[in-house]
Amino acid sequence: MARGALLVAALLCAPLACSAAGTDPDGFKRPLEQLRFNPALGQREFERSSLATLNVYDPWESWNRRIYHFNYRFDEWVFLPVVRTYRRVAPRFVRSGIGNFFANLGDVSNLLNSVLQLKGKRSLDITARLLFNTIFGVGGLWDPASRMGLHRQSEDFGQTLGYYGVPGGPYLMLPILGPSNLRDAGGLVTDFFSAYQINYLDFAKTSSDQPELLILRGVDARYGADFRYGQLNSPFEYEQIRFVYSRARDLQIAE
Amino acid sequence: MPRSSRFVSLLVGLFLCTGAAAGDIDAASYGFPLQNPFEATIATTPPELRPDLPDDDDIVQRDYSLRLRPERTFTLPGNFWPVKELHYRLARQAGTAPLIFIISGTGASYSNGKTEYLKRLFYGAGYHVVQLSSPTSYDFMAAASRTATPGISQDDAQDLYRVMQAVREQHADLPVSEYYLTGYSLGALDAAFVSRLDETARRFDFKRVLLINPPVNLYTAVRALDRLVQTDVSGITNSRSFYELILGKLTRYFQQRGYISLDDALLYDLQQSGERLSNEEMAMLIGSVFRFSVADIAFTSDLLNQRGLITPTGYPMDEGTPLEPFFARALLCNFQCYLEEQLVPLWRARNGGGNLEQLVRRISLYDLQDYLSRSRKIAVMHNADDLTLGPGDIGFLRRTFGDRLTLYPSGGHCGNLNYRVNGRAMVEFFRG
Repeated sequence: MARGALLVAALLCAPLACSAAGTDPDGFKRPLEQLRFNPALGQREFERSSLATLNVYDPWESWNRRIYHFNYRFDEWVFLPVVRTYRRVAPRFVRSGIGNFFANLGDVSNLLNSVLQLKGKRSLDITARLLFNTIFGVGGLWDPASRMGLHRQSEDFGQTLGYYGVPGGPYLMLPILGPSNLRDAGGLVTDFFSAYQINYLDFAKTSSDQPELLILRGVDARYGADFRYGQLNSPFEYEQIRFVYSRARDLQIAE
Repeated sequence: MPRSSRFVSLLVGLFLCTGAAAGDIDAASYGFPLQNPFEATIATTPPELRPDLPDDDDIVQRDYSLRLRPERTFTLPGNFWPVKELHYRLARQAGTAPLIFIISGTGASYSNGKTEYLKRLFYGAGYHVVQLSSPTSYDFMAAASRTATPGISQDDAQDLYRVMQAVREQHADLPVSEYYLTGYSLGALDAAFVSRLDETARRFDFKRVLLINPPVNLYTAVRALDRLVQTDVSGITNSRSFYELILGKLTRYFQQRGYISLDDALLYDLQQSGERLSNEEMAMLIGSVFRFSVADIAFTSDLLNQRGLITPTGYPMDEGTPLEPFFARALLCNFQCYLEEQLVPLWRARNGGGNLEQLVRRISLYDLQDYLSRSRKIAVMHNADDLTLGPGDIGFLRRTFGDRLTLYPSGGHCGNLNYRVNGRAMVEFFRG
């Protein structure tokens, strides 16, 4: 009697023990069964969301697309070969030193725009970064501030304008510089001239006499940017970059 | 007596739960931290549990290109100029070494993250490495595929095989001791078909072949992927679409953290925070990524074959042509739609009929069962919670591969590829 009951228990138990883990006899865990599906078949949420991503104001599209293709070629034929050479001739510590140096220069405009947006804590952080990196990092060649937990926070004039509610305006593909919009392109020009006026570490004035410094800055920027044209591997890369750019800017402005 | 039968019942329970094959890894000793298959698929392994890999600066590598379909130079529209030649990446060792081909997964190009990871892993283990795009990737479709309608595994394998031979010819001076082959996801299915092709063509005579997370039944896999965007995500309203919802979470997360950083640990950290994504949201994200791949495939295949389903036949196109209308139309097409509208008609035309079921049997792993069960050089690694599998698929793998199947208890779809334990197992398999 007891034996029979146990046998029944065993028979009942074995599959139970298995289904407790949600596992088939062959070991399959049926992951999709954990999900709650929309009971109305064929919901179109993916389509609705994705079609909305195409909704970026782009009145100069045809022109922008040509610039996109120009940039793609420029990248393949000029920029990337130069970066490859840079990688080969400059040892790693030189490259990281150069990267840190330009990042430190960039912190000046980060600070300026952070102050313009009345972000107190962030302005103090960036000031501390500038001081530590310029003094202990020997003019910015090292980045001791990041090791101390003061992360680099980028702010530019486009973000400042966005912070005060200026809309992005038409999407704009800039030659060589890449995706932008009217507001951010204007911000770029402003940042450039304010850096020239501030002339931190005498870089802006020196580089106007020695344009190769500006080229180095460009090479460093390309070296540091982890983006390749064609990387999204889609015939619709232009649309995808456009959406990601506009949303990334919204995110940066909100943050 | 009751005690012994209790013991028997326990044994029966254990047997049913864990299965009998030798290749099962139990969860306790495995130690992969993500038990949630969706989280694993998106976030992959936390950075500190990944293997040590050589740095990019320490790898001698370059991208090369092949002109395989010269006629396409004239037929492809101007905005396809970057994919008129097929690009691939070769990382070479200093001296004689074995060479491994890596075939990428659905819609992925040779430079995508997972292929890059495998390159580093095998390069660090002393192999020359060739990274290839998936036959479903738009560059491959445009520059290397004869039909530009990927999905018929035999055809895709022939295209791949031709590419591999061309790669070998382009680097005839490269001292290679022997050849190996691997692929992940759809690339694993391709690798299996390429391996069989090589048994007769004998150009490479692959010494070992590793299939990582292959779909078993291609139709089960694509239906599962199509279904992922059907989850019921709470919080979607008329004014807030799914992406807005996810971006909102990301924005709040960055605001709490105080700074933006898009690093490897982002998704892992996000899941530890108050803004963590639900299973339904993650499933829809994964499904969306695949849907974007299908949109590329459907658009490219239609355009190259001038089928007129998405782009009107003979539509003039150059570098300035806006593509939104076609992108929008392609986004409406899921795997099922691509299958029904483009793949099946092509297959039927070439075979003088046949139905979907017959096609699915032909292009899935079933077609290779005999070959796979007796070919000792081929092994498979899979996960018990892989999203592309259906009921019975693991049973098929067990019957076919026996002890050459390694089944990990977690990892989702390819999420544990870059886990230290998996990395070691892959390298060891090829070392023999």
